[in-house]
Amino acid sequence: MTSYFSWNGNPVAFQPGETIAAALLRAGIIDLGQPLNTPGGRVFCGIGACQGCVVAVADAAPVEACLTPARDGLRLGSLPAVGADHV
Amino acid sequence: MCEAPILVVGGGPAGASAAASLAEAGLPVLLIEQRDQLGGAIHRLPAPGNASHIWRPARHRRNWARLTARLQAAAGRIETHTQTVFLGVDGQDRFLLDDRSKGLVFTRRLRAAIIAVGAVETIRPFSGWELPGVMTAGGAQVLLKETGRPLEGPILIAGSGPLLPAIAAQLAKAGNPPVAVLERGRPWNAPGALARLALSWAPMSEAATYAATLARSRVPYRCGATVTQAEPDGDGLKVGIRIGEVQEFLHVRHLLIHDGIEPNRTGIPFPEPDADVPVLLAGDGREALGADAAILDGHRAAMQLLTRLGRANRAAASDERGLQRARDFQANLARALHSEPVVPAPETVICRCEGRIYADLATLAEDASAREIRLMGRFGLGACQGRFCGPMIAALRGQPLPVTTPPRWPLRPVSVAALARLTTDETE
Repeated sequence: MTSYFSWNGNPVAFQPGETIAAALLRAGIIDLGQPLNTPGGRVFCGIGACQGCVVAVADAAPVEACLTPARDGLRLGSLPAVGADHV
Repeated sequence: MCEAPILVVGGGPAGASAAASLAEAGLPVLLIEQRDQLGGAIHRLPAPGNASHIWRPARHRRNWARLTARLQAAAGRIETHTQTVFLGVDGQDRFLLDDRSKGLVFTRRLRAAIIAVGAVETIRPFSGWELPGVMTAGGAQVLLKETGRPLEGPILIAGSGPLLPAIAAQLAKAGNPPVAVLERGRPWNAPGALARLALSWAPMSEAATYAATLARSRVPYRCGATVTQAEPDGDGLKVGIRIGEVQEFLHVRHLLIHDGIEPNRTGIPFPEPDADVPVLLAGDGREALGADAAILDGHRAAMQLLTRLGRANRAAASDERGLQRARDFQANLARALHSEPVVPAPETVICRCEGRIYADLATLAEDASAREIRLMGRFGLGACQGRFCGPMIAALRGQPLPVTTPPRWPLRPVSVAALARLTTDETE
């Protein structure tokens, strides 16, 4: 059974053990920013250093997508929509 | 009362080697790792659900198997926390650790700390490097190791160093050979350094394997070639490249860049080997010498600490010899691939977090202090705390950018609720 998290309201499938970043990239989601937020967020360094892939998490602190294992039902969105209506 | 542990931050080769060496000497170790598995970037393992393993050198596989076996044999004395990030040292000298799997920030009374957080990649800025679709070569390699699946669409690899042909060959073997590899340096102009490099068997045989793969997959490897700019183009990037005097444009989906590595020292405490709670650095986070040297350096740091704690009295001469060999290799590599810095175009983003461009940097006084660069220029004030723009500014100004003191924490995003629930051990 495929698992999903939501990205800006849209479902994104992931495989067990995969990071949020890996799942987003496979889904073709490269720009992690809001349309008017330039430069948009993006996966860049892959090791949690650049903070370019930090994503907002509903009801929790933002995390680096490249470090964080995807979990079923996570509701994620672009920064700086922390606490905003990205859920 | 339990014996206070030695904190080891980072579960890559240096941290794993240090943790195993300390535990083998009978000391309790608290090993923390930001990912869900140990290994670091170099030994990043396939995600649990992924059966497709990418090709990697046998030497690295053997090294990690040995380290893993040592950790397992000493597991009784090593308390490992994965998905746990080092937030920094607070005003009361407490090492703050965020176990994200539990939403718990905790600290411990420590006997000492060894910090082995590895390296960050350096890049040379060009107009457009900040765009989505541009990724570091190392970041793409970590992703490939985990997923076994290459990025989709046309990929261009550019910058400098041995990682470029390595990731290119791995992408080719995984089914998506890059359109080209652009090496900034002109190694044929430094035959002396090349000849000395040729004496290092392990990296040279690895390089030969990569070269053969690139030749088979018909991936062009061009020296003296650079990316000059990138701009959004449909769902990809239009990338300007210069090979010698010729300027061309390529349309790609992903642009992977890399110009070497340097120790990840942003926000990391200063080494204080003689303090009451000694702090030592190990591995690429101390001196960027690569994965093989990191294992030696983790052992070296552990021995230094054991000596300081009166538990050993030998500095391992073999470690020092190995580290010196790695240092010589890196120096020859740097000579072979040397290229002069290029002044970026005025609109080139330097500090991505704060959107500051080269023109902003150029308005600052030539002798501006680190404080002025930060507070007036707003460079390095953002979320990454200067991990990327710091080295760029240093290279452009020709002098290191002094680090802020004391290091600012938290180094990583952390929930205020988790911070407020900070747990300390009751012995404090």
